[in-house]
Amino acid sequence: MAHKTASSRLWLSAIAIAAGGMAAWWWWPDDRISAESGGLIRDGNASFIVTKFAYALGPDAVGTDSCPNGPSKNVAEIFSETANGKRRAGETDEAYGERIEAGGRAISNAPDGRNFCVNPEIAPLDPNTQIMLDPKAQAGGIDLDGKNSRSKSDLTSGRLDFAAADGTTGVDNQFWRAVGCNRSYQQDGPSRGFEEGMYVGEWGILISLSGVDDLENDSDVDITISANADPMMLSPSREALDYGTYSRDREPRFRGQTSGRIENGVLVSEPVDVRFHYVVNGMYLERPLREARIRARLSADGVMDGYLAGYTDVVELYDFQFGYRTGKDAEGKPSDEARRVGSANGAARVLGHTCQGMWQSLHKLADGHPDKSGKFTSISTQYKFEARPAFVVEQSGKNAKQTK
Amino acid sequence: MANRVSSLMANMPIPARQFVVFAIMGLMLAFAAVMLFSSDEPDPEGGPPTVRRLTEEQYRNAIADIFGPETEITGRFERPFRSHGLVAVGTGAAGISPFAVEQYEVSARGIAASVLSKKRRAAFLDCGPKNETEFDAACAQKFLGETGRLLFRRPLSQDELSGFVGLSRSATGQLGSFYAGLELGLYSMLIAPDFLFRIERVAAGNDGAIVELDAYSKAERLSFFLTNAPPDAELLDAAASGSLDGSWGVSRQVSRLMDSERYPEAVRSFFADMLEFDDFGETSKDPQIYPAFNSVVAGEAQEQTLKTIEDHLLENRGDYRDLFTLRDTFLTRSLGVIYKTPIPKREGWQAVRFQPDANRAGIQSHVAFLALHSHPGRSSPTLRGYAMRKIFLCQEVPDPPASVNFTAIEEHVDKANVTARDRLDIHSTEPSCAGCHKVMDPIGFALEAYDGAGSHRTHENGSLIDLSGDLDGQAFASTNDLAEALRNHPETPRCLAQRMYTSAVGRDITWKERYYLDWLIEGFADDDYQVPSLMERIATSDNFFAVVRPMDQPARRVAKNNAANGDGQ
Repeated sequence: MAHKTASSRLWLSAIAIAAGGMAAWWWWPDDRISAESGGLIRDGNASFIVTKFAYALGPDAVGTDSCPNGPSKNVAEIFSETANGKRRAGETDEAYGERIEAGGRAISNAPDGRNFCVNPEIAPLDPNTQIMLDPKAQAGGIDLDGKNSRSKSDLTSGRLDFAAADGTTGVDNQFWRAVGCNRSYQQDGPSRGFEEGMYVGEWGILISLSGVDDLENDSDVDITISANADPMMLSPSREALDYGTYSRDREPRFRGQTSGRIENGVLVSEPVDVRFHYVVNGMYLERPLREARIRARLSADGVMDGYLAGYTDVVELYDFQFGYRTGKDAEGKPSDEARRVGSANGAARVLGHTCQGMWQSLHKLADGHPDKSGKFTSISTQYKFEARPAFVVEQSGKNAKQTK
Repeated sequence: MANRVSSLMANMPIPARQFVVFAIMGLMLAFAAVMLFSSDEPDPEGGPPTVRRLTEEQYRNAIADIFGPETEITGRFERPFRSHGLVAVGTGAAGISPFAVEQYEVSARGIAASVLSKKRRAAFLDCGPKNETEFDAACAQKFLGETGRLLFRRPLSQDELSGFVGLSRSATGQLGSFYAGLELGLYSMLIAPDFLFRIERVAAGNDGAIVELDAYSKAERLSFFLTNAPPDAELLDAAASGSLDGSWGVSRQVSRLMDSERYPEAVRSFFADMLEFDDFGETSKDPQIYPAFNSVVAGEAQEQTLKTIEDHLLENRGDYRDLFTLRDTFLTRSLGVIYKTPIPKREGWQAVRFQPDANRAGIQSHVAFLALHSHPGRSSPTLRGYAMRKIFLCQEVPDPPASVNFTAIEEHVDKANVTARDRLDIHSTEPSCAGCHKVMDPIGFALEAYDGAGSHRTHENGSLIDLSGDLDGQAFASTNDLAEALRNHPETPRCLAQRMYTSAVGRDITWKERYYLDWLIEGFADDDYQVPSLMERIATSDNFFAVVRPMDQPARRVAKNNAANGDGQ
């Protein structure tokens, strides 16, 4: 009897194992994905890749009443206006040029040798950096604080809101005031746009909407703004392709999740902190934006066109835009010091500003996130962007592009 | 043995004995039923033996197999000639241009120099003179004999071998190097017609009008059909030993070759030929209209279809007809742009299953087919309809008349609210056009759901696209309906069997072989339209090796020629 029971148990076990095996085989998930048809919205999701991205600035200010003292100057220009910087009799162009550059380098450092790009806080006030105080100056963007600051005290402090060409008032765009008189931020200047890096795969931005029923009107959509971990897919003429697949950066700090609404085809988001990658001269940097919000129009063919705006921590803005002090190499270690210092000073020389001047302007014009003492620590920053249809996926593996 | 079985049976309990007896009877009944109801292969009819030039792939495979895949081939290859729907048949019909000869010569020089270079020669030579300037006849004979057997896919005759050895000897004298001399001998083999062409020979000793190929030609047909590469040493040994003269020996080799790594390559190569993928070399798209289409995508599109075919036919042993309704495929991220499908896998291939409403069913809905059979800047129901009839159904559609006026079509290409159907309606009023367009366009209209690069669309120039059409009486209104109509068309499996056989023998099917074709199709259906079974059936059939004796070659001369060519060595 005992033998029979053992035998039965053996059989039952075998049957159970076989049945389990069959069930496992049947239900084992395969790696085949399910593909559906459809346009931009699929299962309530619509995603985009940013294909154009630049500071939202106003019409050229240099040469107009907006910059009554002329453009900001670089160290060589500043030195050339000193007594020692005047051209000497019989001095050749080459010799004078070399002397001017050397003089500029000399005034880029403190007497103890510390470079002002690395230590802008120790530098004396730079009177040659101009800020744009013109109350009539225009700039596009979003009203971030819900106020149209145009009072006398705003005029004195320089924290005047702009009016945009499209009639929007109360536009908070202090960054434009800080750089408006710099030659490189004029319409044809090299600092205005910086999307080349996006097209060579150095960085990118993805926007995903979920819970979308209608791209024309939807009172509640979830929005994720994240750094792109994949190179942009391009046509032979190097234009971004629609409906490419991109992975979000796997680092949580490179994604911001918020909610929003679509009204008459315009997406408006609630504020959220976001952070993107940025690469300058082989140095990996980060471009943060606090309380970032989107206001962008969605076209019928799925193109999003509008503003991404918020506040940038003044020190961080200085570091990714002017000083490169936080630059890292491909392995995530601090970049070589010579590269950081050389790049910051070289950029200032070529683009027509001083590091300390920009540091001072940013602090002077800061208008967000006051600290305990009431001092503002961030500056309103507006970006103009265009985004096109894409698929955004999560990636469990390593980023295709190094994430530092 | 018999005693042991009897004793075992005697010792069994009666129920067990009854079970064994019933089981044996059941098996015998099943065998009898198979024998009774399965039809026999029709008597071999054969066609003429062929002379076929190696395709680029076959040339590359031959060099890789014999000298290693690292052997560089520097020459370029001519665009292949297609005949009866296949390059495999065209290789027996096309001539050879001075450019091709020049390129074969370039490749031969490079290959011979690489094989006999100081760095590599030890891998191919286990002999050699003590003094490099001296000629080692035994070594040369061994190397050239063994290599020549693989290159010519048969043993060299004594005269041939003496010729190559003699050439190497005199070159050694003139160049002062045994290896340089051997290099010239090898180079000469590589530009010889016996290497570049598959020259089929008839077996000796049969006086009938229908004869068999000789053993080496059989080995060659088997090998190129099942591996798209020349016979390996084992197959040549089988030919030499006479084992290919019997069905058991052939079956054994067929099984071996179909188990080899090269077999899937042969299947892919056949379908790439059938699907006319060589035409991608001349396919371009207007980048302004189709920015996502480029040469990388074109390559991946072909691979997508071949990968899908391999997965379905070989991995899953699927029904060939289901290729036209299959929604499982593989995509890369680049292809995902055209298919408007998210591809989570960053690199390589993502297995994808299209949902029924995704408008992607069958290989005719793949980018490779759709982009290849379109114009550079727009789709074409005519080109696609023509291609479906020709490629999948083996139906012939006459060429357009020389006087056809295309301006009426071109004028309406980009006009608002005008679809391809509207444009092609113009043809219905032209009697010289209407006949053929009525055959081609209705099946192409369903594929208007895809633009010229293969992306799905619902509108053209602002107008909703009407997908309705007709395939030989089977009306459809969607891409899915078209897929079903193609799958269930009686000519679909027949066309494949015909293409497969013509590809294998390198010529069109003869009138007398139609019974054999019927037999193949019947077997194909019995085997649930599994392509490996069809290929096995062809390769093991008597018809596969049957040839009609050439008119000018009576039996005695065949025997003499074969003796001279070293048959049976």
